[in-house]
Amino acid sequence: MGRLLYRGAEADIVAGSWQGLDAVYKVRRPLKYRLSVLDEAIRHQRTVHEAQMMRAAREAGLDVPRLFYVGPREATLVMELMPGRRLKDLVGEGLPSIEVLHLFRSLGRDVATLHAAGIMHGDLTTANVMARDGRLAFLDFGLAAHTARVEDHAVDLRLIKETIEGAHPAAAPPALKSLLEGYASSAGAKRARAVAGQLRAIERRGRYARVV
Amino acid sequence: MEQLVLGIESTAHTFSASVVSSSGEILSNAKNVYVPPQGSGIHPFEAAQSHLRAASRVLEEALADAGVRNDDIGAVSYSMGPGLGPCLRVGAVAARTAAVTLGVPLVPVNHAVGHIELGCLVTGAKDPVVLLVSGGHTMVIAHSGSRWRVLGETLDLTLGQLIDQFGRHAGLSSPCGRDVEKAAAGSSAYLRLPYSVKGNDVSFSGLLTSAKDMLDSGKAFGDVCYSIQETAFAMVVEVCERALAFTGRKEVLVVGGVAANRRLGSMMQAMARRHSSRTLLTPIQYSGDCGAQIAWTGCLALGGGTRVPIEKASVRQSWRLDTVDTPWRA
Repeated sequence: MGRLLYRGAEADIVAGSWQGLDAVYKVRRPLKYRLSVLDEAIRHQRTVHEAQMMRAAREAGLDVPRLFYVGPREATLVMELMPGRRLKDLVGEGLPSIEVLHLFRSLGRDVATLHAAGIMHGDLTTANVMARDGRLAFLDFGLAAHTARVEDHAVDLRLIKETIEGAHPAAAPPALKSLLEGYASSAGAKRARAVAGQLRAIERRGRYARVV
Repeated sequence: MEQLVLGIESTAHTFSASVVSSSGEILSNAKNVYVPPQGSGIHPFEAAQSHLRAASRVLEEALADAGVRNDDIGAVSYSMGPGLGPCLRVGAVAARTAAVTLGVPLVPVNHAVGHIELGCLVTGAKDPVVLLVSGGHTMVIAHSGSRWRVLGETLDLTLGQLIDQFGRHAGLSSPCGRDVEKAAAGSSAYLRLPYSVKGNDVSFSGLLTSAKDMLDSGKAFGDVCYSIQETAFAMVVEVCERALAFTGRKEVLVVGGVAANRRLGSMMQAMARRHSSRTLLTPIQYSGDCGAQIAWTGCLALGGGTRVPIEKASVRQSWRLDTVDTPWRA
């Protein structure tokens, strides 16, 4: 293994190679704040689960890194290196460019494709989506799940909305509009309305959101 | 010019008044805490009655402790919300009365923003990821643009409610945090409880049900307390870690009543070290509800020109912190 590319919340992303190919090692290191019995169970479970969900997402038609190796005991996945830049770094401050809005439209379309296959991503932030030449690739399936529930699909949209509003407040309104348009173009107007409606219902459940 | 602000807090259990100077000196922080009967939670009207009885004594104490005369006060601030209506109204009445009597401006303050700003003042945090954990809130927050933004939060119970509702089920009286922490410290037998992180959000309802069931089926109280703390705290620390990695901030600030828990503090420190970040824990006298959070945020808001006419100084039971502009952080 080689250079540390990125220290994520639960995993280190390390550059390396696998059988002569450029590769990325995703290593879920032990988290010292968590009790080790709990920590080991979570890391093992998420590693195996992520590998399964990456394959499912690829079968659904999304661009997802190919897996070279799955090591539950060392909580490590080895996968192909995805070129491009994180969507998070492309949005920036201020109002979004036309190109960025196109990316959000594609994001909406891709997420709808994933949902149509009965999968929720579970960790849909702008840091987990890579863009290159106008196309998107998806990373980080550790919290993904097989589910066709409107509620769960709305949770995906809620997280991306939360991260856009939190990290890129000025870009949020037009970006979200493009995202939902892209979603509706793939999922159909009826399903998109149901998911968007559920998203509002989740937000109303938020503490102190409803006026009493 | 230096101003003194009298702040009044009354969102839930605590009625508190404090004098803080615009340079950030906390001159007093008097309080009276309503304690519900054993095994039951806060009753809003009972709490409001308690606040009403304590109000003038607490206000006098705040002024006397600060060693200031009535004429020295430049403005009155009060927690407008969010919180329990009957409790909030007592604070609003006291604040309107004080502002009219002293002939000074009245400044409305969001209680949650108050927790964060006081935490920043007393710990020296500049631009932190904030964990606000109390009976009313469980939120991960960071400042961006002109507001504090919510990056993640609980989808159902707050951490304080989880601990209190479990404690009351076991026959304690609220708030139960200290007793639960003490019982947990005597155990190291971990019982598996549901660990529920959904993206940046957490859910505690399944954890509470399982913990109650465990207690009812004869598991030792201390072991269940230990397991609740280890599971629930790991969940909120994981979400903070995600927020830290996502935002690239270098400080984590813990505020709110549950910030007093030492195990939570040490878990946060272990997490932050991994990201070369500092952990700032708000000292116990300022982490829970208190007048100082309202007085200090009142100072900040007053500087930005925020004030409310007496006839419009009502309360807002529902008032999310991410709707409040923070001109003082521009």
